[in-house]
Amino acid sequence: MSRPGFVLEVDDRTPPLLVHSGESFRLQEFPLGTRVIYPPESLPGVPDVDETIEQALLHPLDSEPLPSLLHAGMKLTIAFDDLSLPLPPMRKPDIRQRIIEHVLEHAARAGVDDVQLIAANALHRRMTPDELKAIVGERVFRSFWPDNLVNFDAEDRKNLTHLGMTEQNEDVEISKRAAESDLLVYVNVNLVAMDGGWKSTAIGLASYNSLRHHHNAHTMVHSRSFMDRHNSQLHSSAWRMGRVLSQHVKVFQIETTLNNDAFPAQYGFLTKREWEWSLRDQATYLGAKRGIDVLPAKARRKLFQSMEAPYAVTGISAGSVEPVHDETLSRVHRQQLVEVDGQSDVLVLGLPYLCPYNVNSVMNPILAACLGLGYFFNMYVGQPLVRKGGAVILNHPVPWEFSTLHHPSYVDFFEEVLSVSTDPKVIEQKFEQQYATDPWYVHLYRTSYAYHGVHPFYMWYWCAHALDHVGDVIWVGGDRRSVARMGMRSASTFADALEMASDTVGSSPSITYMHAPPHVLAHVT
Amino acid sequence: MSSLVRDVRQVARGWRWTHRPLPPRSAEPHHTFPEFKEFPTDWARSPVAVAARTAILRGGLTPLVRHETTLHVTGLDVLDDLDGPVIFVANHSSHLDTALLLTTLPARWQRKVTVGAAADYFFDVWWRAVGSALVFSTFPIERGGVGLSETPTRLLADGWSLVMFPEGTRSPDGWTRRFRLGAAYLAATARVPVVPIALVGSFAAMPRGRSWPKPGRPEVHVRYGRPLHLQDGEEPRAFGARVNAAVATLLDEDKTDWYAAAKRAAAGTTPSPSGPDIARWRRVWESSASPTSRKKPKAWR
Repeated sequence: MSRPGFVLEVDDRTPPLLVHSGESFRLQEFPLGTRVIYPPESLPGVPDVDETIEQALLHPLDSEPLPSLLHAGMKLTIAFDDLSLPLPPMRKPDIRQRIIEHVLEHAARAGVDDVQLIAANALHRRMTPDELKAIVGERVFRSFWPDNLVNFDAEDRKNLTHLGMTEQNEDVEISKRAAESDLLVYVNVNLVAMDGGWKSTAIGLASYNSLRHHHNAHTMVHSRSFMDRHNSQLHSSAWRMGRVLSQHVKVFQIETTLNNDAFPAQYGFLTKREWEWSLRDQATYLGAKRGIDVLPAKARRKLFQSMEAPYAVTGISAGSVEPVHDETLSRVHRQQLVEVDGQSDVLVLGLPYLCPYNVNSVMNPILAACLGLGYFFNMYVGQPLVRKGGAVILNHPVPWEFSTLHHPSYVDFFEEVLSVSTDPKVIEQKFEQQYATDPWYVHLYRTSYAYHGVHPFYMWYWCAHALDHVGDVIWVGGDRRSVARMGMRSASTFADALEMASDTVGSSPSITYMHAPPHVLAHVT
Repeated sequence: MSSLVRDVRQVARGWRWTHRPLPPRSAEPHHTFPEFKEFPTDWARSPVAVAARTAILRGGLTPLVRHETTLHVTGLDVLDDLDGPVIFVANHSSHLDTALLLTTLPARWQRKVTVGAAADYFFDVWWRAVGSALVFSTFPIERGGVGLSETPTRLLADGWSLVMFPEGTRSPDGWTRRFRLGAAYLAATARVPVVPIALVGSFAAMPRGRSWPKPGRPEVHVRYGRPLHLQDGEEPRAFGARVNAAVATLLDEDKTDWYAAAKRAAAGTTPSPSGPDIARWRRVWESSASPTSRKKPKAWR
């Protein structure tokens, strides 16, 4: 029986608590009275994944069973989430592989010849063949790579189709292959409440022309939060686009949910409640911490990036996008939702080594800010965990370090744009177009493994709601130059950070620490 | 290296390596207590351990107790006619109580007695468990309501007498608290007599929070009562009440005399051992005064 999440109040019996900080972690003593939000324990996985997939395909929600949608001579496209999900990457076999294999078996039985698989990476970087193989599995890779297993190319104008405009004048422009298919099957991994639904197809397969309508500072500030679909303008826009899309193509959505087993068993202490650490857990922590501290940076990154999560699948739903997504959200909430009573003056977040955009790469300062202020800050339903004008304390080293292979436009964004302004609205007006259309960035996006030129802007927009809401952002252990470039402050220790925050929130603030990962979604009343 | 030392110290302090681990208070409703695994203590009743304990008790603990306290023991003659295992039941207000009982028992009982001790307190860390099992002949009793261990029954069957404190924990104010029925049930199940014992003055000598008796050799009384046998058809609950009353009478006897206490017991007017219903500080105040023994009559006036 999995125990629900809860809010701990730090008292004299509370041991120091684990705080992630990039490619490291540490134990932190919190002031008495600090609230700590713990996610629910991992839910049990479904007993038979293959049987669950088959049941979902044969008994879909608000749709005919998959076999009856397949026939010889049809054009079938299977789109799937890219490597930004799940995090950390899932231990093989990936759930997408298992689902795609089931779909293809049905397609083979129906005699479908024209099948194409598209990674719905939108403006994310292309995946390498090995990365694709890790997601779809060896059999699918061997059968379809390279002609019919592709990364989506949002800059390939001849392979984009403009489907029309939404009622709010938003362009709906997506992959031509997907738009012209008789059936578009989307295979999703729903790690957090933000994922899935129409966001899968209407964003994952869309071009910049379409994405710019919701990936902008205004929409992001008014998405409260990204994890609450009904109060997220980002999602409202995606849903409007989805309705246009559904008039042109039949979408068969398959959504999966995972439990909270985010770390391998040998790092079990990372997901255990600290006071329940056994002697073995304590020794493992000390050993791991010591090992990480002495490892060279390259080896440390390799160690972290090689971590695979032993996620269990908690459910699979298939059929029409909206009923499927409703069912998915209820499962995500069951795994992640915790009731929290009221806001606090200070929100403390420990940022791990990985965000959706640095898989097999470097977490540069912009990605670190996006992870903290874009993702973790938005892990709420209702109202933010920190009050308006409060302070956010983030734990991450924020090294001035970029991958020129994966994030070339980030380097220039950090040097040229943030040095002029950190205001999302200002930089959107002044610089976005230039970066989005820069031929060199487009070239790198299409032919190398680079995120699109506009991507760092989007990352900064993700922070817009938090930047608009809070009065102070302090990084514990953050590189002073990097943090200052982002218009924020750095503290050497947590105690110093609290001292610095006292300018904003007073000397005895209420503090909330969100104990993540694994993911926790706070329902703040 | 210094960072490793710092980390180890932080973990040792945070997880209370030298104490029993406790979940934060707000986490208690969500805390799953680990499955109770009884600490093995059979080794502490082996001939070698018994010999070592006898040496420790006689050579160390007995002289120490007698040096640090002014000890008065009465009623030991009740044990003369007993043969075989019994359950010694006493009121409990101090860590001194076990030492008082073990050091005052006659040698033949001392060698074959074992003490029920709270598993969560005396058996929380290995070194405390080993130490208490060796020196005080303890075996663990789980107080968390996880079900009765078979160990006490087995020990009685093997001929070991038990010392039990049915209050379950030390009295916070020196007065006797409600007796739980475990000892009575056990005596009824194993058909062994119960020897009631009154311990007076141990709270005053070494209350909660002290690890050594107060200076000045405070006076403590150990008063053994007549063994109680389960009567035919008697329910353990009724037997438990009788044991409780016997301890209350012994406590009364310590304040008055044997005959006066016996009369009050017969009339059902024995003062309640749980003390008067007055402010807590007054209860503590009264309990923290050492008992005064009647002066011995002078041989030469």
